[in-house]
Amino acid sequence: MDNVLTVRGLKKSYGKQMALAGIDFEVRPGEVFALIGPNGAGKTTTLRIIATLLTPGEGTISFLNHDLRKEPDFVREKISYLPEEAGAYKNMKGLDYLHFMANFYARTPEEEKAFVDRAVEITELGDRLKTKVGTYSKGMTRKILLARALMTKPVLAILDEPTSGLDVLNALEVREIVRRYVKEGTSVLLSSHNMLEIEFLSDRVALLHNPLLPSGVQLGGRILDSGTPAELKERHQAKNLEEVFRSSLR
Amino acid sequence: MKRFLNLLKKEIKELVTAQLIISLAFTIILFNFIGQVSRKEVQKAIGVQTISALDMDGSPASLALLKGLESARFKILNQAGKTKEQALEAAKAGDSKLLLVIPAGFGDSLKGLKPSEIETYSFMRTFSLIGARGQIVVGGVISALNNVLSNNFIRERLPDVDPGSLKNPIRSKDFVVVRDRMAEGSAAQVANLISSQSLLIPVVLMMIVIYSSQMVISAIAMEKQNKTLETLLTVPIRRTSIITAKMLAAGLVGLISAGIYMFGFKSFVGGIGEEAARAGAQAGGGGGAAMMRQLGLYFNTSGYIVLGVALFLAILVALAIAMILGVLAEDFRSAQNMIMPLMFMVMIPYFISLFADINTVPLPVKIFILAIPFSHPFLVSQNLYLGNYGLIFGGLAYMLVVFVVLVVFAARVFSSDKILTMKLRFGKKKGATA
Repeated sequence: MDNVLTVRGLKKSYGKQMALAGIDFEVRPGEVFALIGPNGAGKTTTLRIIATLLTPGEGTISFLNHDLRKEPDFVREKISYLPEEAGAYKNMKGLDYLHFMANFYARTPEEEKAFVDRAVEITELGDRLKTKVGTYSKGMTRKILLARALMTKPVLAILDEPTSGLDVLNALEVREIVRRYVKEGTSVLLSSHNMLEIEFLSDRVALLHNPLLPSGVQLGGRILDSGTPAELKERHQAKNLEEVFRSSLR
Repeated sequence: MKRFLNLLKKEIKELVTAQLIISLAFTIILFNFIGQVSRKEVQKAIGVQTISALDMDGSPASLALLKGLESARFKILNQAGKTKEQALEAAKAGDSKLLLVIPAGFGDSLKGLKPSEIETYSFMRTFSLIGARGQIVVGGVISALNNVLSNNFIRERLPDVDPGSLKNPIRSKDFVVVRDRMAEGSAAQVANLISSQSLLIPVVLMMIVIYSSQMVISAIAMEKQNKTLETLLTVPIRRTSIITAKMLAAGLVGLISAGIYMFGFKSFVGGIGEEAARAGAQAGGGGGAAMMRQLGLYFNTSGYIVLGVALFLAILVALAIAMILGVLAEDFRSAQNMIMPLMFMVMIPYFISLFADINTVPLPVKIFILAIPFSHPFLVSQNLYLGNYGLIFGGLAYMLVVFVVLVVFAARVFSSDKILTMKLRFGKKKGATA
């Protein structure tokens, strides 16, 4: 089966600052693919490019055999993106927010209702969805945003640090939601610097690193190694992905 | 279209907050209140006013003076039999705005062709201009009496001479020529009438620009601050639709807000204007409108349409600029400062049009004024009067071009990395981040 996403030689810079120095990876149908690495490695830049928010520098990105650079509208129809620090419209009620977002993807009122019903099920927020988003806790907001990202059953869900800033219980719930709902055919491209979380969630991972020279110049994000968590641990004789990362830096 | 309407609905809902409704309601109530108070004050000023008079002469001439004042809608409290000091005290203690003292020998002096003096004591209980009107009217009455008395003297001494011709041997009959039309009247009168007619244009434009631009800038800044912009930019809707929805929502809400504001403003200005106009009509004025009509200095339906189009284009240009400034704003607070350059752009042509004539300013200044898109609505009203259609349609075309260029630029910014990386914070270093 063809890849959902194929990235080849992707480069990106902000002025003189190199963010990505040519990365290659692919996301296969129904898999959870994770980009891991420290802050500033280029994870968010990569996800923003795939989400059509930033323009790619050099390289090619093929999404369902369509060129992302030439057909961003096609890509937006099939993906959903959850930014790391995303928010929802505070003056809207939770349910209204879900309807507002579903309306962009649904072709019929029935489909819109189905999307919202699915989101309600994912959030498990019940009657709280009838209150304004501005009154929600961080965990509740994150759940509604995650539900928004998954309710349309996108071909590719792009999740940037999905558990960022959440407490242990909320983070666990979010991970379980991702695991449960991707089984229905959605592929997931996610990023995290929490390597233990990635080990639990991902089918395959890529280790991203942006080396910093003593002069302060960054060489640009590059993939040090990639594979399933088990393959990587075996290749680097490591107990977990944190040790894999340290080993690949050497 | 369904997606666009979905977004437009959300934008309008975001803008029409309880805060906005309360502030608009408060504006109307406040203006209405001030209007009512002003109306009462004006009514008081132009209505029957109470003054005190101490006639120490009792001659036919002094009685004629008091009768003249009564016919000029003054209620006279006669302080007869009192000394000047007693009359002053009595007048001060009462409602009188003024004490008029006619000294003994007033009538005899007039008969003997000697200048006669009367004394007026104004009690200033307020410093408003309306409050001082009493003395102005008394002055007018005295001047009319002077006229009558001097005419009588001339008729007695020189029965064959017209007193008017003797007092004013040279008379001026003023005519104003505008293009191929001519009417009797003074140029100052025409200029005053035109400036009072065009007063509303800058006020309307300023109000709509302030309301709408603030809304657009804040809408984008709030999307950034609340971290909703990134999500919105990845949903399947064209970037131009996002821009249009935000501009249209702000334009509609801005237009309605400005309309409500203007309604309140009208009731405030009407409080003074209507009563003053009524007083003017009673005094025998009202020739200005006929003169303006004769000169062709009035708007017909097509004139109003052209002016409306000019205002609409100016609003669109303001919204497009606001959209770009909104992208630059990092958060809601910096968005508040972003409105300032736009405000200056609207105010510069307004003030220049108040104090200078665009046709006589040096060429670089003229180019500068014409380059500001917001100058054209001001110029359109003047050029409509003067029939300079080339300048009018040139101005409209220029605004349209500026608007298209700005929208294309805004759409490019929205489609590029700049929407996420451009930041401008006042007092802080600007730079790109990701």
